[in-house]
Amino acid sequence: MNKEFLHLKHDWWLPAFMLFGGALELLMIGWATSRPITNLPLMIWDMDKTPASRNLVISIENTGTFELVEPATSMDMIKNQMDRGKINAAVIIPQGFAGEISASAGNPILQVILNGAESTPAREAQRAIEGVVWALGEKITIEKLGVNAEQFEGFDFSLRVWFNEALNEAYFTTPAELALMLEFTILIFAALTFSREREFGTLEQLLVMPFTSLEIIIGKSIPVILVGLFDFSIMLGVVHFAFHVPVRGSLPLIFGLAFIYTLVELGKGMAISVFSRSQHQSFLLVLMVGMVDFMFTGYAAPVESMPQIIQTLAKFIPAHHWLEILRGIILKGSTIMDILPNVLWLVILGTIIGFFSLRYIRKALD
Amino acid sequence: MSIRHLWAVVRKEIQHILRDRGTFILVLVTPTVVLLLMTYALAVDIEHVSIALLDYDQSPMSRQFIQRITAGDDLDLYTAAGSMEEIEDLLVKGKIKAALIIDPDFSADLLSMRGLALQVVIDGTEPETGGFAVDHIGWRAEIFANQILSSQLRASGLAVESLQPIDLRIRAWYNPSLVPQVDLVPGLLSVVLGFPAFSVALTLAREHEHRTMEQLLATPITRIELLLGKIIPYILAGLLNVLVIPFFAMAWFNVPFHGSFLVFLLLSVIFLFAELSMGMVIGVFMRSQSAALALSFLVVMFPGFFLTGIFFPIASLPELARMESLFLPGTQYAIITRGVFLTGIGLDVLWPYAIMLIFLGLVFTGTAALFFRKKLA
Amino acid sequence: MPSDVYIQTTELTRKFKEKTALDRVNLQIHQGELFGLVGPDGAGKTTLLRTLAGLIGISDGAVHVAGCDLLKNPESVKSQIGYMAQEFSLYSKLSVIENLQFFGELYNVPASIQRERIPGLLAFAQLTEFKNRRAAKLSGGMKKKLALACTLLHRPPTLLLDEPTTGVDPVSRREFWKILNDLHIQGTTIIVSTPYMDEADRCSRVALIYNGRVVQCDSPAAIRGQLGGEVLKIVTDNWQKARKVILPLPGVQEVQSYGEALHVLVDSASRRTKSIKKSLLEHKLSILEMRGITPRMEEAFISFIRKMDQDT
Repeated sequence: MNKEFLHLKHDWWLPAFMLFGGALELLMIGWATSRPITNLPLMIWDMDKTPASRNLVISIENTGTFELVEPATSMDMIKNQMDRGKINAAVIIPQGFAGEISASAGNPILQVILNGAESTPAREAQRAIEGVVWALGEKITIEKLGVNAEQFEGFDFSLRVWFNEALNEAYFTTPAELALMLEFTILIFAALTFSREREFGTLEQLLVMPFTSLEIIIGKSIPVILVGLFDFSIMLGVVHFAFHVPVRGSLPLIFGLAFIYTLVELGKGMAISVFSRSQHQSFLLVLMVGMVDFMFTGYAAPVESMPQIIQTLAKFIPAHHWLEILRGIILKGSTIMDILPNVLWLVILGTIIGFFSLRYIRKALD
Repeated sequence: MSIRHLWAVVRKEIQHILRDRGTFILVLVTPTVVLLLMTYALAVDIEHVSIALLDYDQSPMSRQFIQRITAGDDLDLYTAAGSMEEIEDLLVKGKIKAALIIDPDFSADLLSMRGLALQVVIDGTEPETGGFAVDHIGWRAEIFANQILSSQLRASGLAVESLQPIDLRIRAWYNPSLVPQVDLVPGLLSVVLGFPAFSVALTLAREHEHRTMEQLLATPITRIELLLGKIIPYILAGLLNVLVIPFFAMAWFNVPFHGSFLVFLLLSVIFLFAELSMGMVIGVFMRSQSAALALSFLVVMFPGFFLTGIFFPIASLPELARMESLFLPGTQYAIITRGVFLTGIGLDVLWPYAIMLIFLGLVFTGTAALFFRKKLA
Repeated sequence: MPSDVYIQTTELTRKFKEKTALDRVNLQIHQGELFGLVGPDGAGKTTLLRTLAGLIGISDGAVHVAGCDLLKNPESVKSQIGYMAQEFSLYSKLSVIENLQFFGELYNVPASIQRERIPGLLAFAQLTEFKNRRAAKLSGGMKKKLALACTLLHRPPTLLLDEPTTGVDPVSRREFWKILNDLHIQGTTIIVSTPYMDEADRCSRVALIYNGRVVQCDSPAAIRGQLGGEVLKIVTDNWQKARKVILPLPGVQEVQSYGEALHVLVDSASRRTKSIKKSLLEHKLSILEMRGITPRMEEAFISFIRKMDQDT
């Protein structure tokens, strides 16, 4: 075991990167991505140029979602910019718009073109514009009907957000990123444990030493576990202090479960390291395995929306449960009872994976 | 620069890759496999979001409303709850993502045009689904209220078609149904084609670890020859993926391909050159493969994923991140792939990005050569 | 630089962090010499060879190799030399012949000439039947011979070899030196570092390096001659005790232990043999062997090192 630490000293880059790199990444990525979608370039072609149309433009601007670019003067201009991906949407206000609005049987038309090449901003743009247009529509109707505006409170309903009252994006993205970073950190580190020896064919040298294979495994595991947990603590700190995500659940519970999860991924990683013949191979395998897990964690899209088969498969992926646990404890303050199913799954999966990994590794070593 | 030397290194690298079956397959296959996996993972249309209902009104109108809400595939009624405590419990346990609470005055308020007496509670830990629920409940509520109120107003003699006079015509170009896969695949292409960069970062460190570096440095080979010679085989590996992926994109994910394949190929080569030389810069500093791996993973993977405008629009990024994204080859390539696949623009429009990529490639290669000393110490 | 001095270092100094790896080294090596470098581990032999090969920077001083100024343009020397690293390795996945071809390409040997020379080299190195075997599957001795062959393909006028026979079986070692001798006869300048003293004996001149400094630089015979004394080989049943007994005796300059045997440096064998014998017997030590031997490089070497240590 001491030998492993000696190795680490030589290779001190690796744990240093993993430790601080992980936290740094989290910081950087979290900071960049935990923002709502804003400043989407929008091009407006106002063919009406009346106070009404200008008001519409101002209302759109006030949503904060857009950044208005040079106004359009032709369809070609819109097409040109859209093709190049320079704008996310265009709004075309036809001539006579104001007229149609004030006319009693008028039919005001508004055209919106979305840049489908980036569907997420497109949806956001759609949502924002629809909101503005509907509000405007209501206002027009009220005025037309001479209905008492005060009485008509509009179509808003009250919205309460739980666990994430400010709808702070960071609440959503950072725990997921935290879970992912921990997984990758441990996997990479674990996958490299035996890879060097495999690559240089020095595995025999390791085995000649007076340790049992179990001792070797434990010896290699300990630095990984330590680094993993330390990394996790740092990253948790980053999430909490830098992104102001509250940690509502019990800390000991988080760390306890983090430890279990670390063991699970450790088992996977070490199995990979014994299976591959070189560090290069290990890494590529980790990449693929990591991506598979990523798919099932529901990071970007909720698992519930995936086809049933995939949802079932997701239950067998430890990372999936880990993310649920993490989110639950951090954001919802879940107690162990609340997340019991996930914990049980994790423990069971962990035991099975751990058992088979251990057997596989021991067989490979012996 | 001697082509002989360059070719000797390229040949040696290729021989090495080919003769290590496992690694060869992995290097070749990883980009495409990961692309497929990730597309499935991320391009998910949200539907069947579980919600719960709490109807305090219990009127014909509220029941009608409830029917409307649950009519489609988007919202799934998990249960009709009996109390707030039940809802709270369900939210905490993650069984529902949102809850709709219909106040006791719902029908009364609506008919007297006082508004919608509704409350929506969402699970803020998943703004995606929560927001989705809000939007969809909102839409349906709007339509419902609109219908009720307009018929109401018509009944009292006013000529009202609907409360929404403005005809909003929305079209989405290039991806009319706003299917996420369609814009995801070209974007992911930019990410996965960066994978050979990891291998490139390793290759110098491997010579150090396997002790062949000293002998190599003693020969008259120049730095550029060595570095380029090591990058080229991986550009080829990347290119093989470039040839295969559009096929999957079109066949499996129905991603259109409107541009010219030749232009796409050419620009992909340039991108690979830029991206892989970025990996090389990292590789020049590291003496051990594991360190090279770790660093290249951190530098290439995550920024390449998040800062290149694929998942988060660059416009929404903070200033600093936007500047950084400018220097990532992935950003330029994402624009290129989107253009070639979806919008069908050609070299006449894309040439500035090509130039930028060439520039980045030269800068990275130059930097790598600068820092790579043909000295052991 | 005098016309027949082929390689010259002037006050060559190389510092590495706190340690001075090479300390004002002055050497002049002539064309066609078979020049040996000996010294303990860490003395600076590898550093010196690497400097001559242009692989390491120079902190102070000057180095000229075959007309190339290594301070100004280290790359220029690389096509003139063949360098074999101590911790070398060839490309394990490439075959013997592919390795040769690779280095041939890098040294700009035209393909036709490669085809000409390679069979000869393979025979030279006794690797002909293994030419398609992967380098990983060669024995230690074969690997070293292959490495040597790779440095010879471009017929460099100078060879720099860093411990080329370390870890090689005695038979291969002899074969290796036969090759070196042939090259020497053909006029190649060879600088070879070695831990084996018997190999040092075969060189035209040898430089003893210790702590980065050149302690001695002369022909093997001259160095041995400088020992200034005669050597008695004494084998007893308890060498540690015997050593303690012999050391303080008059006329004994040094006692070196070689396994069970002691090599005792005395000013005159004829004068001291009796007194030593007497002393040993007085201390109840039985003498298994006692005879005069010709001083070898080994003794000279260790003696010099001892003196240097005492001086500092």
